Amino acid sequence: MPVAAATTGRNPSAAQPSPRPIVSEPSPSFLERHQFLIYRLFSLAGLIPVGAFLVVHLLTNASILAGDDGRTFQSRVDMIHSLGPLLVPIEWAFIFLPMLFHAAVGFVIIANGMPNVGSYPYVGNVRYTLQRASGMIAFAFIMWHIIQLHWLGKPFGGGQFDPHHAASTAAEALQPTLVAILYAIGVLSTVYHFSNGLWTLGITWGLWTSPAAMRRANAVSVVVGLVLAAAGLGALGGMRSVDVSKAREAETWSEKQKRAVTVPGAAVAPTPIPVAPH
Amino acid sequence: MSQPSVLVIGGGLAGLAATMRLAELGVHVDLVSLVPVKRSHSVCAQGGINSVNALTRQQGDNEWKHLDDTVYGGDFLQHQPPVKEMTDWGPRVIDLMDRLGVPFNRTSEGFRDQRRFGGTLYKRTAFAGATTGQQLLYALDEQVRRREVEGLVKKWEFWDFLAPVLDESGRCRGAVCQDLVTMQFRSFPADAVVLATGGNGLIYGRSTMSMVCTGSAVSRAYQAGAWYGNGEFIQVHPTAIPGTDKLRLMSESARGEGGRVWVPRIPQDPRDPRSIPEADRYYFLEERYPKYGNLVPRDIATREIFDICTNEGLSVEKDRLSVYLDLTHIPRETLDRKLGGILEIYEKFQGVDPRDTPMKIFPAVHYSMGGLWVDYEKSATGGLVEGSLRNQQTNLPGLYAIGECDYQYHGANRLGANSLLSCIFSGLFVAPTLVNVCGRRVGDDTSRLFEAEVRRQEERHRELLSRTSGDENPYALHQELGNLMTRVATVVRRNDQLAPAYDDVCRMAERWKRCAVSDTGSWTNQNVVFTKALGDMFPIAKLILKGALLRDECRGAHFKPAFAMPGLVATEPEARRREAEQWCDAFAANTNKWLKSTIASCGPSGDPVISYQDVDTSLIPPRPRLYGLVGGDAIEEVWKERAAKAVGGKQAVGAGA
Amino acid sequence: MIKASETVVDADAAHGGHGDGNATRTVRVRVLRQDVAGGESYWERHEVAYEPNMNVISVLQKIAASAKSQDGRRVAPVAWDCCCLEEVCGSCTMLINGRTRMACSSLVDRLMAEDGEEIELRPMSKFPVVRDLVVDRKRLFGGLEKVKAWVPVEGSYDLGPGPRISPEEQEDAYPLSTCMSCGCCVEACPQYTKVEVVRRDDETEAEFEKRRKAAFNAGFVGPHAVSQAMLFNAHPTGRMIADERMEALTRQGGIQMCGNAQNCVAVCPKSIPLTRSIARAGRAATVWAIKKLFDR
Repeated sequence: MPVAAATTGRNPSAAQPSPRPIVSEPSPSFLERHQFLIYRLFSLAGLIPVGAFLVVHLLTNASILAGDDGRTFQSRVDMIHSLGPLLVPIEWAFIFLPMLFHAAVGFVIIANGMPNVGSYPYVGNVRYTLQRASGMIAFAFIMWHIIQLHWLGKPFGGGQFDPHHAASTAAEALQPTLVAILYAIGVLSTVYHFSNGLWTLGITWGLWTSPAAMRRANAVSVVVGLVLAAAGLGALGGMRSVDVSKAREAETWSEKQKRAVTVPGAAVAPTPIPVAPH
Repeated sequence: MSQPSVLVIGGGLAGLAATMRLAELGVHVDLVSLVPVKRSHSVCAQGGINSVNALTRQQGDNEWKHLDDTVYGGDFLQHQPPVKEMTDWGPRVIDLMDRLGVPFNRTSEGFRDQRRFGGTLYKRTAFAGATTGQQLLYALDEQVRRREVEGLVKKWEFWDFLAPVLDESGRCRGAVCQDLVTMQFRSFPADAVVLATGGNGLIYGRSTMSMVCTGSAVSRAYQAGAWYGNGEFIQVHPTAIPGTDKLRLMSESARGEGGRVWVPRIPQDPRDPRSIPEADRYYFLEERYPKYGNLVPRDIATREIFDICTNEGLSVEKDRLSVYLDLTHIPRETLDRKLGGILEIYEKFQGVDPRDTPMKIFPAVHYSMGGLWVDYEKSATGGLVEGSLRNQQTNLPGLYAIGECDYQYHGANRLGANSLLSCIFSGLFVAPTLVNVCGRRVGDDTSRLFEAEVRRQEERHRELLSRTSGDENPYALHQELGNLMTRVATVVRRNDQLAPAYDDVCRMAERWKRCAVSDTGSWTNQNVVFTKALGDMFPIAKLILKGALLRDECRGAHFKPAFAMPGLVATEPEARRREAEQWCDAFAANTNKWLKSTIASCGPSGDPVISYQDVDTSLIPPRPRLYGLVGGDAIEEVWKERAAKAVGGKQAVGAGA
Repeated sequence: MIKASETVVDADAAHGGHGDGNATRTVRVRVLRQDVAGGESYWERHEVAYEPNMNVISVLQKIAASAKSQDGRRVAPVAWDCCCLEEVCGSCTMLINGRTRMACSSLVDRLMAEDGEEIELRPMSKFPVVRDLVVDRKRLFGGLEKVKAWVPVEGSYDLGPGPRISPEEQEDAYPLSTCMSCGCCVEACPQYTKVEVVRRDDETEAEFEKRRKAAFNAGFVGPHAVSQAMLFNAHPTGRMIADERMEALTRQGGIQMCGNAQNCVAVCPKSIPLTRSIARAGRAATVWAIKKLFDR
């Protein structure tokens, strides 16, 4: 075995130790030991349930475009709220907690990466960077969105959305131009994050492996993204152009109908909704 | 040093093969390399690796014919037993590499595919795309990494071998090496030291070799007393891409796959080569050597290309010598599949697609057939005795040499795709020998020897660092040496150039002592490492020149026109016969005089002392190489008659006794 | 047939040396230097004579030979790694005009066309700098160790040929096998971040090695290693330890760290289909994880 017989030359790194060790003693945390599982669950959560909810949510909202002063939209909202007291646990279990988990892991991932799109301005890299940026924007937007409209936001002066007056309260909340612009940005970021995530998810899980398959999958994800973007922006525009007074009229009528045929807490009976005469 | 330990210097194919096998046999290996072993020069080998195989066997091939091709190609200058052992091992070596996962090209049935290389009529060459050397090296690198994880191998990458450490009896007891990052010196006591440090192309300035192929390790062993054999035999590859920093190889496989070498019949024809009609193209190799065509052995191809450019003035360009190597008649898909890698190299470095435009190529220094003299023990069957302490051992006991840095396998000229075989073979084959060396270890304390050598090396290093005011620039001096060596000691050699060149190199060696180092630091000082390596080039350059100067004949890669044996001139049968007889007499006389290994030992001032050693040709008697010689058939006839007579005579003697 | 040559060939003429005519043209270079590991870095300008068809290696060779900066000061030659100069050894990776590439295959003409007057050379940013353009890339090889990138043969005794492999399988495997561990992929990978472990005064070499290895293993193993794992998992014998490789690929720093930026495949000098390997590793990890969950 070799032995150091003599030494000339100084070893600068030994002579001038770095002021702080750059890497601390390895002691793998829970997160580190189960990194694969956590990242895979993170990836899955982005699709199901969070992504799936996003799709349902945007398509529901797009029903405002039916042009019936929010009647269709109201009926969809009613359908969701027919869950009654179950809605709260369902919301937490399938939307809020998965989303918070996805966001928390997402922030860890973002913190550990070093975007370099300046040096490598390739499409894939731009998308990688946008995925992170859009994720952060989407997170901030969704927080704001919840506070502004969801009843959880009531203690903070938000919670403007009233499920019994779905179209009119939404339309009122979205009237300020700044709000509309921020919504447009938020919705587009979320949609981008989802549809690009759909594509990377397919690579992560190994659904598409060859460059050709990746291109095909990409085309699909672009279509999904465009549809969702159209739905989201359409809903935004649709909400803002709702005639609030007419919508209230329709909602009041709908309310009466519901009272007539339901007891509190029971399921909504399928009632045909007459279209308001113009 | 508690456990048996071998020090391997160099992590190319030979060094890694030896390391892998040693570790497998339970011996600890310290593996020292100038670069991470995965970056060794072996990666540059493109074409393939030779061995007899199931297909060629059915066409009449066997190990003996591989041996015959190898020694015939080497102009009979190599001892035949080691070559026999190597060619016998060929199929096993390829099988092993196959098992290690080398992605050899496949036939549609899933067997290994083979191609034909120069100097043989059989398709013996297995290949992995156009990066066979890289693939073979990686397979061995992976196995060594596996052993490293197991703890039997310790790699010392970015370390420079400075000197073997010899005891009073002249036995090598280890070595002193230097860390190229911290510039620290370290002793490596070992039961045996194996040099596997490759060739010395950098002595020629630009060559096809990598920047680590300075030959310095071999030179340091030589200066410590090891003999150097056949130094003057330097293979010049016929086809290289001229470049400003290095000459990049265009593999022989480009010709193997059907590449055609030609020049326009009109000197420096200004037309686009693609638009020059067949009638105006001179396929000089095909016309001059109808049997082998473009696949003549390397030395012949080299001289013909050199000749067509310099003597016939048919170079494609006037100010830059080159000929066309044309692949444009081969379908693109075939080229991509079989030669993709090497064509990319041309495209990448020349900016022209060789699938569309004929490549411009010219010969370049490529391989050192010569190297450290090593011994062997002949077996009863004409091969080697496996495990003999003498196999691959230099004249310094305990110091071994394998791969390109030994002189043993390629004689006066190396066949294409034989180098990868010789490297892996010698690496595998030396392992049992080294295990036996470890079994007979010498137990005395050597620390004093190592301390002394480390001090000597420190002194040399310090002395170099103190040279800040010299008037010589090591890089300029290297270029000067390279230009001189390329001019006088490559394709064509003349005594009236070699003699003054030797004096020039002696003067350069003196001037080297005035080299100024521009970096006096003690951290990753590449400047002083290069200057040191340059200093060690001169003893080898001298022995190359001296060996070439003294060898007044033509043999393999050593071509001296003044001593060439011209073809027959007479046309009338009887006169022609007489001439052929005379030719054969002259050939026999020349063989008698010059079929000898050149052995150089280092004199006190770094000047070589040359002596000669008989070559073991006990298996295949020497015969003339007649590729393309005028009257070759007549000479062959006479030679065969004589050979038959000799055999008959021997038999008669045998019967009489 | 070969005639005695009377011609003396000038080595320069034979090998593409070029005469004057370009004497006035120069190449300007800006090099980010660093004298020792852990030291301060600083910019230095150099100017060398232009030659047609020259690459960054020739530029660095000229800088080494002149050992002078642009303003004429005597400086130590720039240190850099190189070996084969034909882009098969993987030594000479550096940041050239901000992008990771091999110095040998970076032609000056193209760089000038790309980025005007000056060429910028910097060491790779994902590895500790040893000196100037030389970096310590041990972590790259550590990745190969981690994923057991080898065929687990019993030994080197003659046991006949390897397994039969179809030409399709060979053509699939061969590109992956040309990976030369140059580090371009990890340099451009936004998920592969620098790990620099400095030896402490009170630490033995073995302790330091152990600590460093653990730090390396905590970070992303890198596209090159993922690709090698897939190469050996596809080999009939290599696949015999496929589970061990999957275990490694799903540990901390494994395949899950990939962020799908796909820079690796864009910068790979050998055009290795790294993202295909990554996606295949993703698929294999999916199957492996499910199997692990339900099979044991």
